[in-house]
Amino acid sequence: MIERWSIRRRALERYLVLALLCLFTIAWVTPLAIVALSSMKTPIEQSQSGILALPENAAMILDNIASASELAGIGNGLLSSLLYAFVGSATAVIAASSAAYSIAMLKIRFPFFWFLIIYSGTIFPFQMYLMPLFGLYQSVGLYDTRFGMLLFYSAIAVPFCIFVFRNYFIGLQGEVIEAASLDGASSFQTYLHIVLPMAKTAALFLFVTQFSWIWNDFLFGQILAKSDDVRPVMTSLATLSGTYGKGTIPQQMAGALTASIPTLILFFALQKHFMQGLILNTAGE
Amino acid sequence: MERPVKRLSNHSECRRASCPIQNYVSTDPLRHEVPVAPLGRASVETPTRAQALLRTIEPYLYLLPALLLVGGLLLYSVGHTLAISFTDWDLITPPRFVGLKNYVDAIRDPTFTRSFTNTLAWTAGSLLLPVGGGLLLAVVLERIPGQRVLKTLIYLPAILSTTVVAAIWSYVYTNNGVLNETLRWVGLDAMARPWLVFAPTNTLAMIVASSWRALGPSMVLFLVGLQTIPPELIEAAKIDGAGERILFWRIKLPLLRPITAIVVIMSVIGSFMTFDLVWVMTQGGPGRSSETLAVTMYRQAFIMWRMGYAGAVAVILSTIVIAFSIFYLRATLKRSAL
Repeated sequence: MIERWSIRRRALERYLVLALLCLFTIAWVTPLAIVALSSMKTPIEQSQSGILALPENAAMILDNIASASELAGIGNGLLSSLLYAFVGSATAVIAASSAAYSIAMLKIRFPFFWFLIIYSGTIFPFQMYLMPLFGLYQSVGLYDTRFGMLLFYSAIAVPFCIFVFRNYFIGLQGEVIEAASLDGASSFQTYLHIVLPMAKTAALFLFVTQFSWIWNDFLFGQILAKSDDVRPVMTSLATLSGTYGKGTIPQQMAGALTASIPTLILFFALQKHFMQGLILNTAGE
Repeated sequence: MERPVKRLSNHSECRRASCPIQNYVSTDPLRHEVPVAPLGRASVETPTRAQALLRTIEPYLYLLPALLLVGGLLLYSVGHTLAISFTDWDLITPPRFVGLKNYVDAIRDPTFTRSFTNTLAWTAGSLLLPVGGGLLLAVVLERIPGQRVLKTLIYLPAILSTTVVAAIWSYVYTNNGVLNETLRWVGLDAMARPWLVFAPTNTLAMIVASSWRALGPSMVLFLVGLQTIPPELIEAAKIDGAGERILFWRIKLPLLRPITAIVVIMSVIGSFMTFDLVWVMTQGGPGRSSETLAVTMYRQAFIMWRMGYAGAVAVILSTIVIAFSIFYLRATLKRSAL
């Protein structure tokens, strides 16, 4: 009798916890719903209707995106960010995989030293990079250019990629590569046809994580660019929002929503890679 | 081009103990300067000196792009910032060496002290909310059906850019924003206030906003950590009559220590580098009351053009971050089995 009672109580407790968790999660994602709702309202409607009230005309979101784009160059920002995130992370993946190939598989002197030199790029706070980069970019004419932004984003993504690739290559079976190189394949052929295909999984998830890092960056867009054509999307968005922002709430929310869509799509399409990336990022497994 | 993989079978034919190539492989497999590899198209003749030189430097060529990018942009900047921090420089007149003056100025400056205190508040806040909260959620979520859906939803804000989070929470905190309207709706009118205007409320409000983004990742890491605990251990403890509380404090928490260390160090490092969120939400204001170290550095450099002072702030910040990073690297590099 007592036992049955205690089982029932435990089941009840479980449901209670589950209910609380669900409530918590709903509250947790409410800000996202508010973003979507307010981006579909006119400024007047937004200030007069309740926060969770449904919009009168959902198509208003297009107007808001258009006017946010006109005000802050969100549209241009999206295109630029797409370029930076795509080409920047691809460049970093290629540069880092070839460097890691050399460090882990080819005969070079002091491989660990070279690894540390490149990997040390992850250890410094970004504040150490700002002034010299700004000065350098001004003096060589890279300031406020797409090429300059690409160059920087490629560089900043390399250190983490090399960490992952090096771990990965060290774990690979050496025999295949030895055999190939003895068979007369040049080291470049070995890299291109054997090593890279084997590292496809690592390369893909590095591409995803670096893509979303570059996409989400605000600071370096702020430092290294100023025109609407070159600024990445987050830097454009920042001019709309916050205490000193120049946009209305619906414009801000429409901008925030638009700027988040690519990474959200990437997340839902490749959720596993994101979580894996997070674990790799921290645990270095 | 013929695929090299296919040729493997060729080579395997000479896996005889007497094969000179194979003997060579076992000692020094990838060195190209020695005349080896009579198979395939490589030449049998002794290479000329130029060829030998090329073969020695070839492996380094693969390093070059990464080295140039990281060295030329990142490491160069680190050295330069360090140098700037010992000078007086406004970008227009040439820099003048002033020794440690910028560091002394910073330490004596009350705004620097406030910025430092705010940064410590960020550290404390990010240990309490994302780390503590993440651990709590992980422990509760672990045994819940439908864990995956809840996990994904809670993780969702972490996908967003800090700038987007700042935009959303600026709206939450404005006068007629989400929070105040909600408070008025439930009848707590007295609680409604301009959240980002007065210190220290503005810093606390931003810490909450930042935690919204940071909680998911630490929760996922703790969940991964919990999965590595052998279930037999938990079962054995339960049979011994351990309740949930004892199970948590005596078994789970101690076994989670490696992952806890990493999450804690990461949060501390992250909190010291807090910039985007504060810059977008308040620009460190009003009256510089919500500045963090990173914001102070930015303001000194790019608003006030005091590059030397900004350099000193950056170096102080880096020293703290690197000190923590060394713990972190020791933990991760050890785990990645060098």
